[in-house]
Amino acid sequence: MTGPLKAVRRLGVVRRLGAGLAVLWAAATASYVALLLAPGDTVDILVGDGIDTPEIRARIVEEWGLDRPEIVQYLSYLWRLLHGDLGRSYQLQRGVGEILATQVGPTVQLTLAAAAAGVTLAAAIALVTAGRGRLARGAASVAELVAVSVPPFLVGIVLLAVFSFTLGWFPVSGAQGPSALVLPALALGLPIAGVLGQVLRGGLERALEQPFAVTARARGLTERALVVRHALRHALIPAVTLAGWFTGTLLGGAVITEVLFGRPGLGRVAMDAVTGRDMPVVMAVVLLSAVVYVTISTLLDLAYRVIDPRIRG
Amino acid sequence: MKRLIPALLLALAACGAQPAAEQAAPTSLTWAIETQPITLNPQQWAQNKVRLLVFNQFDALLTRKEDGSFGPWLATAWKVSDDGLTYTLTLRDDVTFHDGTKFDAASVKANLDQFRVPGYNPAVAAIQLRAYQEAKVISPATLEITLKERDALFLDFLASPYAGQVSPKSLKSAKDLKFGGPDLAGTGPFILDRYVQGQEIHYRRNPAYNWPPDGAAHQGPAHLSEITYRFLPEAAVRVGALTSGQVQVIEGVPATEAGLIQRDPGLSLQTALNSGTSFSYYFNTSHAPFDDQRVREAFREAVDVDAVLRAVYQGTATRAWSIVAKGGTFYDASLENSYGGDPAKANALLDAAGWKQRDAQGYRVKDGKRLTVRTVASAPFVRDRRDILAQAIQAQVKQNAGIDFQVKIVDQGTAQKALDDDAYEIFENSRGDSDAGAALNLILPTGGAINRTHFSDPRVDKWLAEAGATSDQARRKELYTRVQREVVREKAIVFPIYVPADQIAAQKSVQGLRFDPASGTPANAYDVRIGT
Repeated sequence: MTGPLKAVRRLGVVRRLGAGLAVLWAAATASYVALLLAPGDTVDILVGDGIDTPEIRARIVEEWGLDRPEIVQYLSYLWRLLHGDLGRSYQLQRGVGEILATQVGPTVQLTLAAAAAGVTLAAAIALVTAGRGRLARGAASVAELVAVSVPPFLVGIVLLAVFSFTLGWFPVSGAQGPSALVLPALALGLPIAGVLGQVLRGGLERALEQPFAVTARARGLTERALVVRHALRHALIPAVTLAGWFTGTLLGGAVITEVLFGRPGLGRVAMDAVTGRDMPVVMAVVLLSAVVYVTISTLLDLAYRVIDPRIRG
Repeated sequence: MKRLIPALLLALAACGAQPAAEQAAPTSLTWAIETQPITLNPQQWAQNKVRLLVFNQFDALLTRKEDGSFGPWLATAWKVSDDGLTYTLTLRDDVTFHDGTKFDAASVKANLDQFRVPGYNPAVAAIQLRAYQEAKVISPATLEITLKERDALFLDFLASPYAGQVSPKSLKSAKDLKFGGPDLAGTGPFILDRYVQGQEIHYRRNPAYNWPPDGAAHQGPAHLSEITYRFLPEAAVRVGALTSGQVQVIEGVPATEAGLIQRDPGLSLQTALNSGTSFSYYFNTSHAPFDDQRVREAFREAVDVDAVLRAVYQGTATRAWSIVAKGGTFYDASLENSYGGDPAKANALLDAAGWKQRDAQGYRVKDGKRLTVRTVASAPFVRDRRDILAQAIQAQVKQNAGIDFQVKIVDQGTAQKALDDDAYEIFENSRGDSDAGAALNLILPTGGAINRTHFSDPRVDKWLAEAGATSDQARRKELYTRVQREVVREKAIVFPIYVPADQIAAQKSVQGLRFDPASGTPANAYDVRIGT
């Protein structure tokens, strides 16, 4: 590779990073503006259901610095963000950074397990049913449709009722040990398996009709080797695009799953923060989600290049 | 690849084999609770639902008994001077905090003075301790507290979670004082040793404990060596966890699940009415249509409360007749069956008030305006299926009297804005104060902190003020009875609907589960044991 080309490539990386930072700034600002536009003022929210007297209001205003002009509050908010200071939770009386730090682990664990369960199930079903008889494909399609359409809350309740309350195989709650992770991961991973399974099978079937598949068969490759070595790679491209979508599904679904299964995690913190209007926590969760999205979409762009050599050129 | 699915199933099955090993030992138990504490510091306490956790770790100075009177706890005796301004407490001399510090008069003073720290708990400083002047250590076991003015609720404060005694040493050293946690040392029967936000809180027994409140069923350390509370906000999941034996006790059993538990011979179900005020609709008297007493009465007459409660709560709810919750010391039973449930009367009242015409949808109209009333509820505080309850009432007032009752459930900021803008006709609320008088002082007096009715009556103000200043319980009852009759029957500014209750469901082998008489919510685990 020549020098100028490298420079261009580096420029692309810089541009990507810049775009990522711009997205983060936009997310921080959007969540700040949302707070400003939301009905009721911040003091009302902080007083909540509690006793409401002018002295208490004055103390709250002082404590949270709400008497400064909004633009000053916004700039000092950005300034603190730049220093990694996410502020203090109105409700939990603790630093937001500290709250997120203790809650991020269980959510990462849950979403990774759910993603693994979803991808594994999808790949298994797609590989087993692609190009097979109508009955197998039909059955798989129906199963996928159900998995996608049923809300994760209901999936979770059904899984609990069967495998925890009736069969007693898995505990209902807690984050100790892998056994407590199985049901929540399945509840969260099934919708992903549904969509991904459809896409993968469609991709595989299209690939198997391509001229290169005929050539490969003519070379004497077994059907199995053809699928695994050649067709799968084609089928993966639309599937990888979907990975961006399912990051969102996972983060959103984590809210319901964590509450239902009594698991700690960001989703549960986010839900409590939204219902309690704990804005510093809400804004931090929005920012963190933006970071995750930006990171994942960057990684996906890189992944395309690995999977599809045509993009590299 | 074909082998993947069987392998996965095998892996799943292998994982599932583990929980059997987690069988509870006979002196530890797991209790699933609905509400997660927002703070573990008793002096920051804000949720009645977590009193059971507060009093595991901390003891108060007094305890409130079934009949509403006070009993000794960390204070063995208390004397109030004739002018009501000096409280002399005699303290136990055998109490130590979990961190080894000795409990004495100086530590009680340090706890009281802690509320003086700006921003520590402004609400308590402004309300419960507004009369607090100073505390003087007379001897290690005697403390003299001086008030600026008489305060009938001061003993109630000494029996509340706010008076939970914290080691003065840890008040200084706690990493996160306002949140609390294992480094905030109390004197309670259990020691907090693990809190996992969103999951569980775990306590172990305090082996030195020998100072239970008056009314406890035993002396000495707690029966249980360990107790874990799991946070399971979904009622169906709590019930499932109980029926499948994964937890031994749950609280918060919705009406829809109560039957399931009652039918199970291995389970028990207990219910207690909460203290404080009933869940009620308060009429906003500041503007039409509820500025007209006839319309307020008509709304109450238009609803068959018993039928509504049967439909929504399957017969598990207790009907309320007064603003004060039934079972409370100050409850006026003479209000029972004195109003309500007469649609003919409702229609006559509305006709007389000028709401004679009907529009195309059957709603009453006056001067071209429909008879519309709005309630604005804040979603975080909607519990006990109060949304469904509102819909049932909505259907009744429409059908029986042609009233257009609009129900909006919104976020807290929007609800607060509607209240500030006076853009509501009905305000719904219940309060869990251990002394109903504390709630009445906020709701009823002219300009009260949550006087959402804009009701103003000099006589009621006078009665409330007098009841707030005397510690003569009989006199207080007399005054609060007058107040209740005035606001419920004579002026009809409130529509009491049901008395909030708490439930405990447990495996039959779990004994000693009770409710805290001060609140009607589940009590701490001190007397709980497994076996017969």
